[in-house]
Amino acid sequence: MISRRALEIAAGALTGIFGVVVVVSSIDNGIGWSSAGVDAGTFPFLTGIIIVLGSLYNLGQGALGRGTLAMVRVAVTPSELRRLAGLFVPAAIFVAVIPMVGMYLAAAGYVFAVLALPKRQPVLRALVIAAVTPLALYVVFERMFQVTLPHGALAAAFGF
Amino acid sequence: MENLQSLLHGFTIAVTVPHLTLMVVGVLLGILVGVLPGLGAPNGVSLLLPLTFGMQPVSAIILLSSMYWGALFGGSVTSILFNIPGEPSSVATTFDGYPMARDGRPTTALATAFGSAAFGALVGVILITFLASWVAQVALAFGPPEYFAVYFLAFASFVGMGGAAPIKTVVALAIGFAIAAIGIDTVSGSVRLTMGVDELVKGVSFVVAVMGLFGIGELLIAVEEEFQARAVSSRVDWKEVFRALGRLPHHGIALLRSAAIGCWMGITPGGPTAASFMSYGIAKRFSRNGARFGTGEAEGIIAPETADHAAGTSALLPMLSLGIPGSATAAVMMGGLMIWGLNPGPMLFVDQKDFVWGLIASMYVGNIVAVALVLLTVPVFAALMRIPFAVIAPLIVIICVVGAYSVSNSYLDVVLMLGFGIVGYLFKKLHYPLAPLVLAIVIGDKAEDAFRQAMLMSKGSLGIFFANRLVTTLVLAGMALLLLPLALQIVRLLRKSDEAAHEKVRII
Repeated sequence: MISRRALEIAAGALTGIFGVVVVVSSIDNGIGWSSAGVDAGTFPFLTGIIIVLGSLYNLGQGALGRGTLAMVRVAVTPSELRRLAGLFVPAAIFVAVIPMVGMYLAAAGYVFAVLALPKRQPVLRALVIAAVTPLALYVVFERMFQVTLPHGALAAAFGF
Repeated sequence: MENLQSLLHGFTIAVTVPHLTLMVVGVLLGILVGVLPGLGAPNGVSLLLPLTFGMQPVSAIILLSSMYWGALFGGSVTSILFNIPGEPSSVATTFDGYPMARDGRPTTALATAFGSAAFGALVGVILITFLASWVAQVALAFGPPEYFAVYFLAFASFVGMGGAAPIKTVVALAIGFAIAAIGIDTVSGSVRLTMGVDELVKGVSFVVAVMGLFGIGELLIAVEEEFQARAVSSRVDWKEVFRALGRLPHHGIALLRSAAIGCWMGITPGGPTAASFMSYGIAKRFSRNGARFGTGEAEGIIAPETADHAAGTSALLPMLSLGIPGSATAAVMMGGLMIWGLNPGPMLFVDQKDFVWGLIASMYVGNIVAVALVLLTVPVFAALMRIPFAVIAPLIVIICVVGAYSVSNSYLDVVLMLGFGIVGYLFKKLHYPLAPLVLAIVIGDKAEDAFRQAMLMSKGSLGIFFANRLVTTLVLAGMALLLLPLALQIVRLLRKSDEAAHEKVRII
């Protein structure tokens, strides 16, 4: 179970860290006014400062349990978390294997795994969808619009 | 009216069997690229360009512009059905279009969108017909300060209208600006915020951000709420298409206002994206049903769609009359113009009367063809909503992945897109508004460039934003729009009305 307080704090920390990164890296670009006009780093620097200050405020509000969502105590219940993971984890694995096996194999495997393994769809229908998806991608992207999708290291090893 | 005569002559060129066939082909291809995220009108137009080299310039431009209309319509389809905007200008359509489709009214949402889009385009073309020469002068008066003022106006009309916590809105907006700044700075040429990652030098495309924030983020919210439990049962209903169109005149004021905003933003090169956001923001503030915006209000679809198409159409005017392309697609078309041996600019209207008026006439006919074709496909697209969620979810993930990749053939973009998905989920969950974030990503760097160029011109004095009547009016209008909700809030606080505290506004 994840409480809303923890989630608020996490979000505040996340945006805050992003703000700090923006501030630090924009200092390299120069801040202020020079002979070439407003320096390149000025705007990112200012937005970074705003992000950091705003994040601190949001973090404080979240930690103290105030703000617009104060009544909501629980943000994500265990069963909700399981469903979230059920969607996101396979998607992340799908993205992770693309450089290796390429877009087409990865997409086919992903569709089949998501549809057939939790028994959401009959195996045969899952197979058909898993075969048609990469085929449609190939026809539309590679053939019609000549956008090459990654073929992966595996295909490269076989000389495609 | 000399213009009318020329237009009639144009119709004799546009309404011929070969040209009508070209329009149908162009529109159908356009709908296809519009519906596929990652592919947009620029891709489609670039791929067709080589085919046009052997054609008459008029035929070529009719084919390309028809494809553009088709893509504009097609872009709204995925926004409404899957919350994945195909084009930046259809982002604002997702705010009310997607909730309406999810409530089981995809046909109504699509028909409303197409109907109002057609109206916007029509107003845009009429404007082009009558104001061609005058408009060229207005656009010429636009320098960096005026550009900045227009962007400022778009921000002002949109920001602060949502019901989100103000500081969360500010953080979301600032993050958007920072993301827009990633990559090469167009003013100084230096590389910013890449943290040493070479692939980031090209910047973070809004497509990548939007697919993650809206596509994946919404998917995560949907599985969490067990969306699959309540399957959307949408029957293919032809009558509903016409019923939805019949209801459009009831929103006459919204239609006219949005068309006016769209035309204005199209001519002053603010662009369709700024126009649709601005129109949505203003509609939310002034509509009777403003509080219900974001839950599937018809006016929330009408406002951005009308403005988007009015701006998209009238944006062709600066391209033809000045040689300034208002969008990526217009830039590709302009390239075509030069290949066909035509010089865009003021002389085009004098030297190439047949071409110009043939094109303008084809805009009327082409849009009618596009609306007819796209309305025919509404039930087909609406039927997509009946596919079980378990099947559609992985397909949406694949579309987002392929779309993010094909923007610039970069694997990093795919990973970023997934990251944006988590951010989108987190922000939605904690009521951080996504709309200011996206708006800042899309026009943030343009606004910054305009501001800095203006500062260069004035040697650092802010007085340049009050230097002439045009820019002063724009800046003051922006400030008024920005301060209006603040003033209303203070009045409300002074009255200490409790109603305000109980107002339920969906955060977008």
